Amino acid sequence: MAEVRLVDIEKRYGTFLAVPKQSLTIQEGEFLVLLGPSGCGKTTTMRMIAGLEDITSGDLLIAGEKVNDKPPKDRDIAMVFQNYGLYPHMTVRQNIEYPLKLRGFDKVGRKNLVQETADKVELGALLDRRPSELSGGQRQRVALARAIVRTPKIFLMDEPLSNLDAKLRVTMRAELKHLHHELGVTTIYVTHDQMEAMTLASRVAVMREGRIVQLDTPKKIYAEPADLFVAGFIGSPSMNLIDGAVTGGKFRAEGIEVPVSLADHDGVVLGIRPEEIEIVEDASAPISGKLYALELTGDSTLVTLRAGKTSVCARGHADFEAPIDAPCHLTPKPGARFHLFNRESGQRLDG
Amino acid sequence: MRKPIAWWGERALLVLISVVVLFPIAWMFLTAFKQPRDAYSLSLNFAPTLQNFVTVFSDPWNLGGMVLNSVVVATVTVAIAVPCASLAAYSFSRFRVRGRKFLFFLILSTQFIPAVVIVLPFFLMFRNLGLLDTRVALIIVNLAIVTPFVIWMIKGFIDAIPTDSEEAAMIDGASRLRVIKDIVLPMAAPGILTSSIFCFILTWNEFLFALILTRRDAVTLPVGLVSFRTERGDLWELMSAAGVMITVPIFVMAMLIQKHFTRGMTAGAVK
Repeated sequence: MAEVRLVDIEKRYGTFLAVPKQSLTIQEGEFLVLLGPSGCGKTTTMRMIAGLEDITSGDLLIAGEKVNDKPPKDRDIAMVFQNYGLYPHMTVRQNIEYPLKLRGFDKVGRKNLVQETADKVELGALLDRRPSELSGGQRQRVALARAIVRTPKIFLMDEPLSNLDAKLRVTMRAELKHLHHELGVTTIYVTHDQMEAMTLASRVAVMREGRIVQLDTPKKIYAEPADLFVAGFIGSPSMNLIDGAVTGGKFRAEGIEVPVSLADHDGVVLGIRPEEIEIVEDASAPISGKLYALELTGDSTLVTLRAGKTSVCARGHADFEAPIDAPCHLTPKPGARFHLFNRESGQRLDG
Repeated sequence: MRKPIAWWGERALLVLISVVVLFPIAWMFLTAFKQPRDAYSLSLNFAPTLQNFVTVFSDPWNLGGMVLNSVVVATVTVAIAVPCASLAAYSFSRFRVRGRKFLFFLILSTQFIPAVVIVLPFFLMFRNLGLLDTRVALIIVNLAIVTPFVIWMIKGFIDAIPTDSEEAAMIDGASRLRVIKDIVLPMAAPGILTSSIFCFILTWNEFLFALILTRRDAVTLPVGLVSFRTERGDLWELMSAAGVMITVPIFVMAMLIQKHFTRGMTAGAVK
């Protein structure tokens, strides 16, 4: 268990700036998720922490000690790779045992630890198989077992669930969360799946083009996205982002007119989450247009309305039904939150 | 169901090629068991004998010494070339060193030089060093010929191994050398074995340098074959017997390669 500090870390490949200078502190025992679209530098950042990638400039401290020039093996970390990185020529037992062997655990201790860990991730019966004889989910567990078999200072996980099917991903997610709770080891987790980030993280660092654009708890990031990028990235279905302008205390765009507390401003984007909008019969509702699409998701129906260039999605009752192109009216639920962004800079305009 | 003409054509072509390739070899094998008077006859109806094999191993031919020379030269060459080439191949495959591509090209380019161009300088060098007609000289020359080729071959196998497992091992606590020993070598083993056998075959069959650099003590099998051309004419039955001695080990190895190769292909899969 340890605190990880990145101080003015920067990564360049030749002249290409992969991760611009920035700092980040991951607290002891925290579950920090690096979230962002592919190519945003999150994996590079993690690989620098692991020691698989040189740090161009800046300091990396693990438990207060500078480790920039230490090889991965001396950083006391464990990592789960996206493609698992198992040793195909070894059995499951040998795979899990390998880190212990390298760190000089005696034979009896090794045997017990391997058994204990394998049982924890339900691999006990498969110890003598080879990775090629396992399913994707089982391989994932082997990779996980190999990481947790000894207790390192930090866990690094690079999209560990992205190769699993949707159902298994949800199960494994819960298991990871439980495991973190049980072991309490500082964990850094890379993903492009905002749902994984929201469910797992103590804090999320949303990254874009190598930069951390927002670092906060999942709740805070959901409730108060720092800019347009985060607003569009977090939440499913994603937040409605409507192009318009503020005049006379009201945000106006085609088919929509809602009161906001902002001085007159051109080029404003209004953000409102689909779950904070309801469908009404009232023709004087602030959002009006024609019904564009209905998508039943099981527990609710996603209702998309169009008015000119404006498109607004609302989460309605599962049994809501109406013909396409019928007039449709929406209104923000009481207490619904409006997010106002500057269209040019993407920055928040309110609060 | 009737097979289309293409199917028959394909089979006919395969048979034709096989016959063309196998006919001289089959003839050699047959001749090796013939008595001198049958050597020139095309008939399959002859009384087989093992006398030729006895003759080539006794005076004045003494093939035994040549077999030993060939075995020592080929084995030592493989034993030195393959470990060195494996490390070199790993470095070329994994380390992003400046000028890496040029260096690799340079190593490969040694293969473009025709052997006849360098055989004379080699002769003079070894004469000055007093190494003419020694196995050491042959081993040195063969290393020079074979190593670049083996580096190139093994690099191909190592390139195909995903780096994930290596990185995982480094994080698990292994040093670079330990990673090579524990992860890379076992995963590349089928490839390295194949390369070793290839290397052995190349050295085993090497003729030109052995012909120029040896006279009596270090003569290898392929050169030894020439000694069956005597003033009494070509002793075909003896030459064939010696030819069989050269070919059989290679056949066995080729079969080994095949077995290991297919096994290597199926066992490696990661994801």
